[in-house]
Amino acid sequence: MSNTLPSAATPPPFDPELAAALAVLGETLPSSLTPDMIPLLRAGMANGPSLPDEALSRGGAFEVEERAVPGPAGAPDVSLLICRPAAATAPLAAVYHTHGGGMIIGDNRVGVDVVLDWAQELQFVVVSVEYRLAPEHPHPAPVEDCYAGLVWTAAHAGELGIDPERIIIAGASAGGGLAAALALMARDRGGPALAGQMLMCPMLDDRNDTPSSHQMAGLGVWDRTANETGWTALLGAARGGPGVSPYAAPARATDLSGLPPAFIDVGSAETFRDEDVAYAGAIWRSGGSAELHVWPGGFHGFDLMAPQAAVSQDARAARLRWLRRVLGS
Amino acid sequence: MRDLVGRLSALDPDAGAAVQVIAYFDRLVETRAGLEAIVRGAAVLAGCPACLTDSERGVHVRVLPDGGRTDAGPPPDPVWPRITVPGGAAALWLERPSPPGPVGAMVLERAAAAARGVLDRTRGRAPARRDGDDPALVEVLLDAAAPSAVRSLAARALGLPGDIPVRAVALEGGVPRVGPAHHPPPEGVRAGIGPAVTVPDLPRSWALARTALRLAAEGTPQDPGPRVVHSDELGGLAVLAAAVPPGTAPHPDVRALERAGSEAPWMLATLYAAAYAPSLRAAAAQLTVHHSTLQDRLAHAEPLLGWTVRDPRGRLRLQLAFALRRLHRDAGSP
Repeated sequence: MSNTLPSAATPPPFDPELAAALAVLGETLPSSLTPDMIPLLRAGMANGPSLPDEALSRGGAFEVEERAVPGPAGAPDVSLLICRPAAATAPLAAVYHTHGGGMIIGDNRVGVDVVLDWAQELQFVVVSVEYRLAPEHPHPAPVEDCYAGLVWTAAHAGELGIDPERIIIAGASAGGGLAAALALMARDRGGPALAGQMLMCPMLDDRNDTPSSHQMAGLGVWDRTANETGWTALLGAARGGPGVSPYAAPARATDLSGLPPAFIDVGSAETFRDEDVAYAGAIWRSGGSAELHVWPGGFHGFDLMAPQAAVSQDARAARLRWLRRVLGS
Repeated sequence: MRDLVGRLSALDPDAGAAVQVIAYFDRLVETRAGLEAIVRGAAVLAGCPACLTDSERGVHVRVLPDGGRTDAGPPPDPVWPRITVPGGAAALWLERPSPPGPVGAMVLERAAAAARGVLDRTRGRAPARRDGDDPALVEVLLDAAAPSAVRSLAARALGLPGDIPVRAVALEGGVPRVGPAHHPPPEGVRAGIGPAVTVPDLPRSWALARTALRLAAEGTPQDPGPRVVHSDELGGLAVLAAAVPPGTAPHPDVRALERAGSEAPWMLATLYAAAYAPSLRAAAAQLTVHHSTLQDRLAHAEPLLGWTVRDPRGRLRLQLAFALRRLHRDAGSP
């Protein structure tokens, strides 16, 4: 791996509305996060408005349940947040959600409101997994927790009112990386059949050395310093070196054939742009199916922070259209 | 991650939030965001629908607090917080039935200032007059030599929709007007009406409108005839007009008509009625004279003209003489 900096290229401009949102939110969310900030970040999340059950039920539209299921061999149980459309009579499709947070923060309610929006529109079950976080629990703890929850969900599909043929995995940021890894693990281990993988601005490459990772240093959300913090928490000294497992960093996978259809989106003005575009390219080269959206001027997670912006509305609509096609609903 | 609204609502409304509102709109201005982004900012930050209108410049943008653009809304309520965009006729308001509070007032003020910059930059500082008589813009629109992009800009500035027929109208003195083809013709002035065309074809409509104006009469006893002439109805007279440019030496028949006209105040109106009415009886009725009076007048006129006006050939010659008289007379107009 070369460590030479690419020529100092001008970063792509932020979308005007996103730039304005960033001007307001940026001060609470520095671009560069360092390991010493992890406790502070977690404390901030804890104080933030985590979604209570009443919010998840959306006025009774969903039955909400938190269930502990067996974790990986020798590891503690894994907690699954399960939201099932209350009106359902027949088995439904499901989205198995892996939350974001750079592998170091967050819980299984982070980002679920976005998934519930889809579920309300398309009537499917949402299962969101609580996995152990790095650095206290380095690789493979997070991804194995996620996989254990996925296997249990597929095995108990009937009990959960889920059609096992229509399970989609979805996640944003670190959750997108975990979802991509789940697809690889399910393929390699003969695990649950998956109908699709929705990878929203996924965190895929521990090497942290793409042109976009350099170009966006110190800018926007989750720059290369923050990225190094996250990957080092997960992989320790192994980060960026030889022998990192594709289940930790799916960009390391050399064979992307035999995967479920992928949806990948990313902003043009974020660290993950080039690794996400490359992942879609690798899927196509392996003969797979992928839909790729690069939203101009988008920073990392732009549609979460500024959902009202025109480009955020388009990004969200594109996801819903893909889900509708994949689920045939 | 906490979104924008959550962030703002968590702030101290008097101090922190106001600073954030300023930062938000400053950034929109810096990145040259458009009107919709500005109105969306107002709606999102204020948490209610926001609407910007500028009737003079044809602007109407309404955005809901979820960011969706929905131009149709309820009629403005006088209790809604509202601000006039400085330096123009534009107004921005928040659709909520209560005073704006410090944050809402700041949102209105900063959004209006940002909108003013965009309006001035993209729609021109001086708003166009919407009845299609902003002279400089109309000039551009009718100039066949102007680049088509510049002419479409002028059309938009005048509020001319691109998808409906338009026409040029030449008013007395050669003053141009441009408007939708279905608008009624002007009243009370001499006017030539060009054919209905699309915006790019307006220079042609203008040329024909000017020709029609040359054939429009004052509608007085000394210059009888229609004051508004449609180029569509000219037929071969357009060819005659082209052959007789302004300033051409008067034809002998026109001199004869002038000579006759100077003999009696009723002469020209009488000859015009004889030339154009369906019959001499109808002409007498138009002039409100007895049929025999008309016969007497024509008997007086014919020697002065040098030809009879009581057969079709003579009436055509008389009609042409009237047309030529107007074409000569209009020499001073552009």
